[in-house]
Amino acid sequence: MLKLVKARLLQLVFVLFLLSLLTFTLMKLAPGDPVLRILEVDELAVTQADEAALRKELGFDRPLLVQYGEWMLNVLQLDFGNSYIKEKPVLDEMIARLPTTIQLTVGGLAVMVLIAVPLGLLAAKYPGRWPDHLSRFLALLGASIPSFWMGLLLIYVFAFKLQWLPTMGKGSAQHMILPSVTLGFAMAAVYARLLRAGLLESLSQEYIRAARARGIAEWRILWRHALRAALLPVVTVFGMSIGSLLAGTVVIETLFSWPGLGSMAVEAIFQRDYPVIQGYVLLTGVFVVVVNLLVDLSYGLLDPRIRYGKGELS
Amino acid sequence: MSQLLLERERNKVLPNGYETGQPVASLSASESVLRLENLKVYAQQGKRRYMLVHDSSFSIRRRETLALVGESGSGKSVTASAVLGLLPNSLHIGGGRIVFQGEDILLWPDKMKRRLRGKKIGFVFQDYQGSFTPFIKVGKQLVETIRSHCELSFNEAKSVALEWLHQVDLPAERVFNSYPFQLSGGQRQRAALAAAMMLQPELLIADEPTTALDVLTGERVLDVLTRLQRQTGCAVLMISHDLRHVMKRADTIAVMKDGRIVEMESAETLRLQARHPYTQMLLKARPLLSEIHRGFAMEAEAAETAQSTSRWEAEFT
Amino acid sequence: MNVNVSTVFRQSPIRRNTWRSMLRDPMTALGTGILAIIILLTLIGPFIVPNDSLAVKMSERLQSPSWQYPLGTDHLGRCIFSRLVAGAKTTLGISAFVIISVTLIGIPVGLLSGYVGGRVDALLMRLVDGVGALPEFILAIAISGFLGPSLTNLMLSIVLVKWIGYARVVRSIVLSEREKEYVLAARVAGCSTWTVLWRHLLPQIISPVVVLAALDIGKIILIISALSYLGLGAQPSAPEWGAMLNDGRPYFQTVPELMIYPGVAIMLVVVSCNLISDGLRHILDVRSR
Repeated sequence: MLKLVKARLLQLVFVLFLLSLLTFTLMKLAPGDPVLRILEVDELAVTQADEAALRKELGFDRPLLVQYGEWMLNVLQLDFGNSYIKEKPVLDEMIARLPTTIQLTVGGLAVMVLIAVPLGLLAAKYPGRWPDHLSRFLALLGASIPSFWMGLLLIYVFAFKLQWLPTMGKGSAQHMILPSVTLGFAMAAVYARLLRAGLLESLSQEYIRAARARGIAEWRILWRHALRAALLPVVTVFGMSIGSLLAGTVVIETLFSWPGLGSMAVEAIFQRDYPVIQGYVLLTGVFVVVVNLLVDLSYGLLDPRIRYGKGELS
Repeated sequence: MSQLLLERERNKVLPNGYETGQPVASLSASESVLRLENLKVYAQQGKRRYMLVHDSSFSIRRRETLALVGESGSGKSVTASAVLGLLPNSLHIGGGRIVFQGEDILLWPDKMKRRLRGKKIGFVFQDYQGSFTPFIKVGKQLVETIRSHCELSFNEAKSVALEWLHQVDLPAERVFNSYPFQLSGGQRQRAALAAAMMLQPELLIADEPTTALDVLTGERVLDVLTRLQRQTGCAVLMISHDLRHVMKRADTIAVMKDGRIVEMESAETLRLQARHPYTQMLLKARPLLSEIHRGFAMEAEAAETAQSTSRWEAEFT
Repeated sequence: MNVNVSTVFRQSPIRRNTWRSMLRDPMTALGTGILAIIILLTLIGPFIVPNDSLAVKMSERLQSPSWQYPLGTDHLGRCIFSRLVAGAKTTLGISAFVIISVTLIGIPVGLLSGYVGGRVDALLMRLVDGVGALPEFILAIAISGFLGPSLTNLMLSIVLVKWIGYARVVRSIVLSEREKEYVLAARVAGCSTWTVLWRHLLPQIISPVVVLAALDIGKIILIISALSYLGLGAQPSAPEWGAMLNDGRPYFQTVPELMIYPGVAIMLVVVSCNLISDGLRHILDVRSR
C-alpha cells in the first residue's frame, strides 16, 4: 500500500513539473507584452522609465531559466503572483472562489448518486424490465447530450416557462437545483449502467448464493454483499473521468453565472490574465492527481485482499 | 446461555401454525425430516425442455445420513438446490412434492422458504471459496446470519458464533476476526459448517463438502460433521461423487444416474449386495483398502518367488 | 513440438460480414442511417442550401421559418438552416481531423514502443504517464488561454492529449502479439522490422483502434462544442454549432429556436456515433471470443 502512495506522490511531482513547464513556456510564447498590458490597465501615461521599472520589478529582464526557477519557488510557496487585471494575489482570488466550485461539485455528485444508485440497483435486480431499458436509454442520452444545451433547456423550461426555479446566480437552495442536475445527469446515466454491469457480475458469484442459502434477506444481500464488489469498476471510471467533471464545472459555472474557479478561468482567458490561468491550471493538475491517489487508496478499502496481501492464518 | 437464547427463538411461532413450544425432539423418530416424492426438475431452453431429475423420491429421518451419490451431471446437486429453493433461473421444478417436517414446502413463497434457509435447513457448499463473501469478516457474516433469523443483540449473536467456531475445532476469536481469504480451505469449510449448524437446523445438506480439499483435510471436516450431527440430532443429506467416500459415514445410500435414483439401500447392503450394474461399476472404480492390501501381498509374493527362482536358477544352472 | 495453431497464423479480426452484421442490429442501423444522412448533407450541402451561411443581413434578423429561410434567421439575419449544414461540415471536419491526427501519432508510437521495447519503451511510457495524467480539458484551457482562443488551438490541445490513449492501446496489443509464433516466423523468414510492423501487426490493432475512435468521436464533438460555446474554440462568426448556441443564448426567451436547433444537431450526430460505436464494440467483442 505504501508503495502505491509513494508512486502516486512521485507522479504528482512529475505532473506538477510538467504542468509548470508547460504553463511557463506557454506564457512566454503568448502574444502580447504583459508589461504593457499591466500598465495599460492602469490607464496612466506610460513612460519608458515606468516600463523598464515594471519589467525589472517583475523580473522579466532576467534569463529564462532564472525566471522559471524563481517562479517555481514562488509557486511552491503558494505564491502565484498577482492577477494582471485585478492587481491582487491570484491565490486570494482562487481561495475566494473555491467554495463555490466545491458546492457545485458536491451538488452534482449528489444528484449523480441519487439517480445512478437506485437506477443501477433496479436495473440489475430486474434485468430486461423497465429499469433496465430506462437506464440504457438514459445512458445513451447522457453520453450524447451536450451538458450546456441541457442546462439551457432546463433553464428555459423550469426557470422561464414554469417559473419554478431561478434562472441563474447563486444563493438559496433553489439556485442549487438546476446547476446540480445539469452537472450530475450525464454522469448519472453513465454510472447507472456501470453499476448495473458490476452488480450483475457480482450477483452471479457463488458467495451470493451462499448468502441466500443462509437465509439472509435479498435486499441486504444486494446492499451489503453485492454492491461493494460492484463499486470497484465504478470508482476506477470515476478516477478516469475526473477531467470531464472539471470541464463540467467550467461550463456550468459560466452558464449559470456562478462565481467559481471555472468561470474565473474563462474570464481570465478572455482577459489574457496569465497568472490566473497559470494558477488554475496548476491547481486543477494537483487536484486530478490527488483524486487519482484517493481512488487508488479506495481500492484497498473496498477489497481487503489488496490491503492484506494474501497471508493465511496457520 | 446461548443455548437458552436459541431455544427461545426456535419456539416462536412458525409459518402455518406450528405451535409454540413444540421443539423438534417431539417429532417421533420414524417421521421423516425431509421427504422427496417424485421430484422432477427440468431446464428450459427456448422451446425445449431437458429433464434433469426424473421422479426422485427418498426420505431422511432424524439422526440419519442419506448420501446421494453419482457422477457429474447425474442431477444430485440439482436435487439439493431444489430442496432449498435455490435453483438457478434456468431450472424449474416440474412436479412432485418436497415435504419438510410434514409440510410441502414446494408451494411456499420464497419469503417463507427464506426463513427456513439457514435456520431449519443448513447448506454447505462444495467450493469453499464461495462460502463466504470475500470482503466481509467471517465473524460479521456469522453474526449477520444469526441476526437474520433471531432477535439477538450483536454480542449475544457473537457469543453463539464463537461457541460454534469452537465446536468445529477452529481458534474461535482469530477466525471470527479474519477475512475468508486468510483461512485455509479446510478452515473455511469448517467455518461454513459452523455457519450452517449454528442455528441447529433439522436438516443439513452438504454438497460435496470435501471434493475441493485434500483427503486428510476432507476427513477432518467430515469427522466434525459427524460429531455435530450426533450432538444436534439433525438429518444429513450428503452429496458426493465418490461412493467409497461416503460408505462409512452414511446410513443410506442413494445412487443417481442421469437424473434417476437407480438404487437406494442401506450402506451395508450396498457394499455387500449391490444390485444395479451402475452401482457395481462405481464400487469397482476404486479398490477397497483390503483389496489393495491383497494386491500388495500378491505382488510381494510374486517378487519373492521371482527372487527365489533366480537364486535357484543361479544355484543350479 | 506442440504448436498452438491460433498463434501460428495471423487472425484477421475484421471481415466483410462485420459491416453486414452491424446493420442487422436495429439501433446500430439507426445510428448508421442518421450519420449517413448527415454526411450526405455535409457533402452536398453547399449546393442545396438556399443561402450563404455567412451573409449578414440585419434587416432580416430573427425571422420565423419561411420558404426563403427554412428554419428562420438568427440575430444577424443569417439563415439558420444554411448555418446548420455548414456547421455539420465544421464539426465533422474537426473531429475527423482530430481522430486522424491522433491515430497517425498514436499508432506509430505505440507500435514502436511495444515492439522495440527496452529503454525506448520505458522512456516513452514515463512521458506518457505524466502527460496522460492531465485531462485534455485543462490543456485546452491552458493552450487557448495563452495562445488565444481559436479553433486551431483547440484542436491542437485535444490532439496533444488524446493520442496517448491510442498509443497505450496499440502498445499493449503489440506486447501480447509480439511473442506469438507468426511474428517469430516472419522474423526468421527475414522480414524487416518495417514489414513485420506494417503487414503483420498493423491489422491486429485496427479493430480495437476503430472501436476506440468511434467512441471518441462523440466525446470530441462534445468537447469542441462545449468549448466553442464558452467562446474558447470557434469564434462567433464561424458556423459551428456550439458557437451558434452561444449566439442564441441572449435570445432564448424570445426566439428559443436559435438555441434549440444547434443543440439538436449536436445531439443527433453524437447519438449516431455512440450507437455505431456500441454496435461495433458488440460485434468485435463477440467475434474475439
